[in-house]
Amino acid sequence: MRAKTLSDFLKEGDRVAVSNITGREASRVSEQSQKYCGNIVGGWALGKSGSTIETSRGSIPVYATFEELMKQTPSESRPNKIIIYSPPQAVYGEIKEVVDHGREHIETIFVITEHVSVEVTSKLHAICSEAGIDVVGCNTLGMINVHDRVRVGAVGGDSPQETFIPGSVTILSNSGNMVNTIASYLLASGMGISYGISTGKDILILTPLKDLIFLAETDPRTKVIVLYIEPGGLYEHEAIEAIKTRGLSKPVVVYVAGKIAETYNVSLGHAGAVVEGNVTSASAKMRAFDAYFGIEAFSPDRRYKKTEQLLDVMNRGVRVTTLHHIPKAMRLICDTLGIDRDISSAKPLKLNPWFVNLGDVAKHIPHELDLARGTIPEPYAQQVKEQEQARLGISMARQSMRNASHASSNDGVTPRIHGYSLMDVMAKKSFVASLVLSLTGELPRDEFEEHLAQMTFIASLTNGPGTISAQGAKLSCSAGNSPNTAIIATLAAMGSVHGGNGSQAVKFLLDVFAETGIEDPYDSSVDVKDLAQKAAEEFKRKKLAAKEASLDYARIPCLGHPIFKKDPVNHDPREQVIHAFITSQGKCNIFLEFYHALVEALKENGTTNTVMAVNVDAALACVWLGICWRHLREKRMTIQRAMDIPFIVFALGRAAGGAAEFLDHQDFGTTMDMRIPTSECRSLTRSRSL
Amino acid sequence: MTIRVAELTFLEHFAPRYGIPVPRHVSGTVSRAEIKKVLSEWGGTALVKPDVLTGKRGRAGAVVEVSTVQDALRELKRVSGLEINGHVPRTAYLVEKIPADYEIFTAITYNSSYLSPTFTVSLEGGMDIEDVVEEKKITIPVDIFRGLDAYQAGELLAELGCSQALISPLSRHMVSLWDLFISTGMISAEINPWRVTSQGNAVACDFKGIVDEANFKAKAPGIEYPDYPESISLFEEEMAAWSASSHQGQAHVSDLGGKKILPIIFGGGASTIITETLEVAGGDPMFLSDFGGNPPYERMLQSAKLCFNHKLSQAKLLLILGGKANNTYIDVTFSAIADALLSFAEEHGPLSLPVVVGRGGPRLVKGLLALKQALEYLRLPHVIFGPDTPVTLVAEYAAKLANALPAESEVKS
Repeated sequence: MRAKTLSDFLKEGDRVAVSNITGREASRVSEQSQKYCGNIVGGWALGKSGSTIETSRGSIPVYATFEELMKQTPSESRPNKIIIYSPPQAVYGEIKEVVDHGREHIETIFVITEHVSVEVTSKLHAICSEAGIDVVGCNTLGMINVHDRVRVGAVGGDSPQETFIPGSVTILSNSGNMVNTIASYLLASGMGISYGISTGKDILILTPLKDLIFLAETDPRTKVIVLYIEPGGLYEHEAIEAIKTRGLSKPVVVYVAGKIAETYNVSLGHAGAVVEGNVTSASAKMRAFDAYFGIEAFSPDRRYKKTEQLLDVMNRGVRVTTLHHIPKAMRLICDTLGIDRDISSAKPLKLNPWFVNLGDVAKHIPHELDLARGTIPEPYAQQVKEQEQARLGISMARQSMRNASHASSNDGVTPRIHGYSLMDVMAKKSFVASLVLSLTGELPRDEFEEHLAQMTFIASLTNGPGTISAQGAKLSCSAGNSPNTAIIATLAAMGSVHGGNGSQAVKFLLDVFAETGIEDPYDSSVDVKDLAQKAAEEFKRKKLAAKEASLDYARIPCLGHPIFKKDPVNHDPREQVIHAFITSQGKCNIFLEFYHALVEALKENGTTNTVMAVNVDAALACVWLGICWRHLREKRMTIQRAMDIPFIVFALGRAAGGAAEFLDHQDFGTTMDMRIPTSECRSLTRSRSL
Repeated sequence: MTIRVAELTFLEHFAPRYGIPVPRHVSGTVSRAEIKKVLSEWGGTALVKPDVLTGKRGRAGAVVEVSTVQDALRELKRVSGLEINGHVPRTAYLVEKIPADYEIFTAITYNSSYLSPTFTVSLEGGMDIEDVVEEKKITIPVDIFRGLDAYQAGELLAELGCSQALISPLSRHMVSLWDLFISTGMISAEINPWRVTSQGNAVACDFKGIVDEANFKAKAPGIEYPDYPESISLFEEEMAAWSASSHQGQAHVSDLGGKKILPIIFGGGASTIITETLEVAGGDPMFLSDFGGNPPYERMLQSAKLCFNHKLSQAKLLLILGGKANNTYIDVTFSAIADALLSFAEEHGPLSLPVVVGRGGPRLVKGLLALKQALEYLRLPHVIFGPDTPVTLVAEYAAKLANALPAESEVKS
């Protein structure tokens, strides 16, 4: 092996050339690597000479062949490291060319390509070792030198700096992905990384463990070595034999995967994880490491007493049985040997769910499994916020609903509302709770919401016999109709301006609030004044522009009232009751608060002469948008449903009110009493003759 | 990834092609008259052997000496139907019995110590090479470009004390074995035993080989490797066929016979550790899977559909889990899984099993939200983790959750 220490594989100032750089994976990873460290000086791909790969640090030139690359690159920037992304059939030819034309310059070749034949791998080893070039792979993910902030291949994904904090652990792994995983686990023990190397796990690994482990031994930044091992090959046995002979001053934490291959006759994901004979199996490797360490595998439940014996053992290291024990084992080693932590703010590994909705399952499982939603770390939290805001509500997948329903079911035994037994709801829930369930698909969140919902139904019942809907019932009764027809007449006398205005209010509120990312509609810390002022200014601008052009303009829905309009500050008493209830509960409804702030702002900016009343339709809309908000945010409800519910609530309440008018009118009225005498009717057309 | 080669293929194809002396043999389907004829030609006795992809056939009682036509016919029939170490024979055949004074072991195989092919020889043939004491076997590396020459082989045989008369012919046979090994793209080729007759003739009396499918020579013209009856499930077979249809992204499953968790797992390494964690934590995974390697949408969609069609209705919990991906686009793979789930529900009616998800990698948030939306639409209980929760912790949680779930009847009531 040419390398004398790990940095000989990769260090700051190394210049990397990439084969088949225009390929799908190669171009993408090269772009990311340039962003991270900018160590790529060129690439080659047959037939692509003259093209470039664009990156945030400028373009990477592409040549037809490696020979051309070497000829055209000035000597000071000629590559000394190579990454091979060529297809398996081309790998031998590419590397032969590198050896022929780059023997004096090239120190290390990283072969990313999968499915390279064993014969070719062996030939690569032969020609490269003869030329004094080290080969990592085949089927490596690459490597990272964290202190120098350089990498080759895709180790660390698109943002290596997130997981790879400079520190004192070298990770040597048969699996590429596990380099990243282990690095992120180690953060929990306060340890950062010096090097992460993916060796690849083909049948022949061209950087055997016995060599790598001694390169880590000579690396001044590395204090501990972590190994991720898979079955197959004699690499670990040879490494342990070599350690026994030469000694190793740095402790090792090892995880051996692949015991499952022995339990079941299955082939593992990696090509090289083929067990040949009894020394290369996972359990044989586990036994070999345990024997070397002189202690059985690490157990988080065991208490390790700091004795001379433990000190002796921990100098060699310990094996873990589960990957998430690595941080704990690492802590044990560091504490025992007095190794300083690399990072002060270590967070222990724990379950941190980003989204939880266990529904009914939560009732049937032990408390500790019913997880609460955790905190989404940055930068993801910001991304979630942005993307969730962009998509308030859900678009449902459509299907034939002819014989299907979510709202109800009946299996011949139990009628159900959205899955809940009707009888259970009858026995245990209020009428209004069942209405909330029917309309939203979920029961009210708490008594507060339930009471609010109830108030909206009561408020909808009546506003006197003169309202159009009440008149509908009376007209129908007066004509001698039956109760159901009178209720229909009540409903028929509603429309977009009587009852339907609440839907417009929801639409208006969604336009204002969709971008805010507010989670809790009852959160009093939300500043709605700013939103209200913006909305008022926007409305003023539109109104003036429309007036200038002599055009009609869209009013803000649910403001003002035909009766309550004369005072400097006006109120709709029904809205006031709802508002007072919310306040009395020590809460607020941000939508209703917004409406109140809006009428003030409209007065302040001169759009209105008085502070208009926030009418009961607005209150209905605000209450129901509050109830629907979490369903919208959690994408369980469509925007359309949230808009329709306030109208439906009003219609249901008023239908009962209409029924009351019918009953009253039927008992006391005279037939045809709603008829307006001809003497009271005015004709607006002059009489004409045919 | 590899093709295993048994003795009958060696007898029929490789031995004649590379000039390796072997016993006379006939297929098990020859006529009664033919059996009678060969028995008399071969000195009255013959061996019945199964064509099966496993060693230790003799110890399993599957190699039987016969001396009459009736015995031969009966044993051919019996042996061809015998399950040997979990493997089912393709057929049985009749082979000449070679009387021998002693037996020799030879093998050429790639070796992880030398990172090159190695040649191993021992005069203690007929047994497992692991059981032969170190002093009685020799392994040397072979130059991959020059190959094994007769001189090298002869030296080794002499060192082991092989009789002088045998060294020269046997060395030439070793060169033939190398030719066979290197020109068919094998990873290992073992002749054990060579039976040496009292006349000093060495005859190759059993063969085991493994061909590297990644090597273009595996498609050597004129050789079609036979299909052996395999005890693979329809699920594994369909996924293997789907996997072979494209090189983009992994699509690998192995049935484990579990009954609780349906695991869709990404990444070869993650696949192993997650499945092992599920096992340890009692999650009873239905299969081992690997769908990593940045599969395009259509690839992932069909892979997920295959998993769901075969397993979802029996599963208690669906686990979709991978580490922090380097290359795999999470939005592409997760949208595909979401769509596969939706179309499964459309075809088979509503689902109720909980879903546990954990993932990291490029375009993660978009992918998680797409999947979350589908889970919400299907009203499936779910817990979704990001890359800050270790995959093995998620696996452990999924296993505990699967075990804590009540029986379906309890939930309904």
